[in-house]
Amino acid sequence: MPEMARRGGGGGGGGGGGDARNWDEEGYRKSILRERELHYRTVFRTAFAPSLNPNPETLIVASSDGSLASYSISACISSVTQLMHFNRKIDEKPVPDFLLVEPLSVIQGHKGPAYDLKFYHVGEEYLLLSCGDDGRIRGWKWTEELNSDLSMGNDLKPLLDLVNPQHEGPWGALSPIPENNAIAVNEQEGSIYSAAGDACAYCWDVETRKRKMVFRGHSDYLHCITARKSSNQIITGSEDGTTRIWDCRSGSCTRIIYPEKNRKLKEHSWVSSVAIDSSESWLACGTGSGLSVWSLLSCECIFSSDSCAPVQDLLFQDNQVLTVGSEPVLTRFGIYGVVLSQIKCAPQSAFSVSLHPSGVVAVGGYGGLVDVISEFGSHLCTFCCQGMD
Amino acid sequence: MAEAPSGLRILLHQHVKERAPVHVSSHADRDRVLEVFRNVILKTEPPENFALQAVQEAIKPQRQTVLVQDENQSLENALRALLQELVSAAVQSGERTMQYGQSIDDGENIRGQIPRLLDIVLYLCERGHVEGGMIFQLLEDLTEMSTMKDCKEVFAYIESKQDILGKQELFGRGKLVMLRTCNQLLRRLSKANDVVFCGRILMFLAHFFPLSERSAVNIKGVFNTSNETKYEKDAPVGVAVDFNFYKTFWSLQEHFSNPASTTLAPSKWQKFASNLRVVLDTFEAQPLGDDNGNVNNLEQEEATFSIKYLTSSKLMGLELKDPSFRRHILLQCLILFDYLKAPGKNDKDGPLESMKEEIKTCEERVKKLLEIIPPKGKEFLESIEHILEREKNWVWWKRDGCPAFEKQAIEKKIGQDGTKKRKPRWRLGNKELSQLWKWADQNPNALTDPQRVHMPSVAKYWKPLADDMDDSAGIEAEFHHKNNRVYCWKGLRFSARQDLEGFSRFTDHGIEGVVPPELLPPDVRSKFHAKPSEKTKRAKKEEVKVAAAQSEDNQVAMPVAETDGGGNGTELEDGVAPMDSDAAAVEESQKQSPEMDSGHEAGQSEAETEAEAENRSDIKVEAVTGAVREVDPDTDPNPLSKDSHGGDRENP
Repeated sequence: MPEMARRGGGGGGGGGGGDARNWDEEGYRKSILRERELHYRTVFRTAFAPSLNPNPETLIVASSDGSLASYSISACISSVTQLMHFNRKIDEKPVPDFLLVEPLSVIQGHKGPAYDLKFYHVGEEYLLLSCGDDGRIRGWKWTEELNSDLSMGNDLKPLLDLVNPQHEGPWGALSPIPENNAIAVNEQEGSIYSAAGDACAYCWDVETRKRKMVFRGHSDYLHCITARKSSNQIITGSEDGTTRIWDCRSGSCTRIIYPEKNRKLKEHSWVSSVAIDSSESWLACGTGSGLSVWSLLSCECIFSSDSCAPVQDLLFQDNQVLTVGSEPVLTRFGIYGVVLSQIKCAPQSAFSVSLHPSGVVAVGGYGGLVDVISEFGSHLCTFCCQGMD
Repeated sequence: MAEAPSGLRILLHQHVKERAPVHVSSHADRDRVLEVFRNVILKTEPPENFALQAVQEAIKPQRQTVLVQDENQSLENALRALLQELVSAAVQSGERTMQYGQSIDDGENIRGQIPRLLDIVLYLCERGHVEGGMIFQLLEDLTEMSTMKDCKEVFAYIESKQDILGKQELFGRGKLVMLRTCNQLLRRLSKANDVVFCGRILMFLAHFFPLSERSAVNIKGVFNTSNETKYEKDAPVGVAVDFNFYKTFWSLQEHFSNPASTTLAPSKWQKFASNLRVVLDTFEAQPLGDDNGNVNNLEQEEATFSIKYLTSSKLMGLELKDPSFRRHILLQCLILFDYLKAPGKNDKDGPLESMKEEIKTCEERVKKLLEIIPPKGKEFLESIEHILEREKNWVWWKRDGCPAFEKQAIEKKIGQDGTKKRKPRWRLGNKELSQLWKWADQNPNALTDPQRVHMPSVAKYWKPLADDMDDSAGIEAEFHHKNNRVYCWKGLRFSARQDLEGFSRFTDHGIEGVVPPELLPPDVRSKFHAKPSEKTKRAKKEEVKVAAAQSEDNQVAMPVAETDGGGNGTELEDGVAPMDSDAAAVEESQKQSPEMDSGHEAGQSEAETEAEAENRSDIKVEAVTGAVREVDPDTDPNPLSKDSHGGDRENP
């Protein structure tokens, strides 16, 4: 991959240039590895940190190396601006170079990829919750995380550490710990909900750090989960192609939605993401073939759009749905299924879209790329996450 | 512009007096002139009655009717002084300048003193008694001395005299003064508040000066680079805005205000192009919905039209959602592209190839965007394209040195190259068609010409076949006329029209039966012309069989009798089928030999049209329709059934 090698530039050991006298084999090897890692890094979740400032200030990124890193958006913008001109010129290249940005702070959240992160509001404090492939949900004090220095091997202890149960097989054999693919929170109930890889959703109590409830019923692993606080329900989407609505008090499934039901083709599909709007009466499901929006009140499908690319994340912005998927665009749907706009974004395949109250949208995905898009649809900044070393 | 208080006006006039001191050769002369004209302007008659006498009385010119240089000067000075006097008197009395001296009971048709003075001078100038520039000088003085409110009336006077002022002799003397006057007026007017008056002045200038007048043309195409669009250079604190985009967006205006600089350096163009791409991306990412609200916005906006952009960063978000704002920006882009695409003074100056490509792609994007902006994006784009096209013509016209628009008379042109004759015009498109059309008129005797080619009679036509049928003639089979399919077909058509009885024998006896019996020798005749009613059917059939046997060896075209033996219907059916092919064959042969005998052709076509028009259920029609059917099989899904049906009717 000559491109990556070039992009590595002087980042590695002392082996740059044509001077071979002080050839640092180890350094060179490291730099190559690092480049490769970087190239295949994926951002699974971006989130705007809560702040009093009306402008987006800090962006938290959970990526495939298990790191949780926070970035200052203003710093990104200013450093990107210097490079903007340079970037434009090489626009025609399939993989344009993006700026590597130093994070404000970074912690090793999980062994293996970190899949999701959420903020949990307790009193004056914010708890940063994350989950990942190691089947754990961990919580950090947000202020501490932000202030943790960049020194290597920082050992910020999580306030909260919840581990998924292992299933017991015959003769006492234990299954591996199932991974957590997504989490949702309900502060009023003091609960964290997790969508796990053993086809179950779990409800955890933040105070006691115990499992309160197990939601069984899906036939395959869960992709996503969201909490419908007004009626104390959770909604899960699974690889088995269904979306289920669960009652949190009883732990029973109240309704099963088949977003793909009216499709003629009986090919295997899945529900990759679910989102509800602020009035909690609309539900959007991202599936392997597109998007379907449901009214939760009448439980009717409002529209179902067959985009060619699978939807991988979506959210509601007022009465519009923003979706990202396995193509490098951010699509904005009207509530009745009209495509309002399509904005090109940097990641070839995007796994996360998140919204700031000011209208700024962050898209994260393949290549460790994060694209921050302003409310006008212009690109505020695009950068490549530098993960743990 | 608000009207100045009267005190200020007086001051202004004093100032004018100081500024433009009136030089008079001698006070006595001037006073005399003033006195004369003071009296003259009180007269209400038209100026031609007394104007010349007044001049003669006042100046005592060397020549009777035309003033020489000095005399003109002194008259002009005196009149200017008089005008000043009148204006200041009007101001002091608080009257409008143009109405000064007009008493209330004078009524509508009596005008103020100043218009009357102007009328007199205009008359003198028009007749050439005095120097033509004088009236313009007075008008300039008058507008300079008047408030804006009065200027409107002065200008109304100018407009009313537009035709006289525009006359060649006066125009030549005063066009520069008039231009100066108008420009001065425009400068005094507020662009935002006095739009109507500004428009009147511009309209007047447009009428007053010839279309190709160069003075108002921006001949070099200089840009108004002072028209800067200022925008914030530093990000505002506490406002959520994509400031980079904001800067990118408004930096485009620098290029729009000075397009020439964009072309000079390739790096500048690169910068502009990349910035424009960012902006277009953003526009494309946010297509504007077709809401009703937007329509209302547009209508409102027409009322509050502003000539500068509001560039506050706080407005950025709103502006991006505003369809008319977007239109303005995109339109600016199109104007710039148009400029960039235009070739320079010499051909080398044109844009580079790579740049041209970029411009083209950008232009397409911009047009696509304009098209989807509601309301009526398509119509908007169309009119813009039309306007830009005209603009292009304008640029080319300027580049060619503003040639006059008046076309030279066409006769002159012909005179210049006298050898070139006018191409004759043919009424029917070309010479041949016209000749054909006129043929009848030019040859009145053609119809009576005995040599004329005409349709032969049936008997005459069948004669060759009858001769052949005479066995004694010993005609060989291959030269036998019945094997000439074209001949047979034509003959059948003749018979169908002229000898129906003979034609009906075709069903029984084939082509030879059609030949009139009187042509045949008796032995042959008896073979075909025994009356069928006298014989039994059986005998008839036998006879047919004999006929068939006779002609069996050489009948290729007429296999009529071969399948005989069945009912009449089938017999006919079989008889018709080869006729169909015959007709087709005839058509083919016609195509192959277009130079066929014209007489036959004419007869044939006549027969055809008649047969079609009659549309009777005779066999002829069947033959014709059969031919048609071959061409267009779709019209009749089952041609066979129709054939047999017709055959049944034919044979009772």
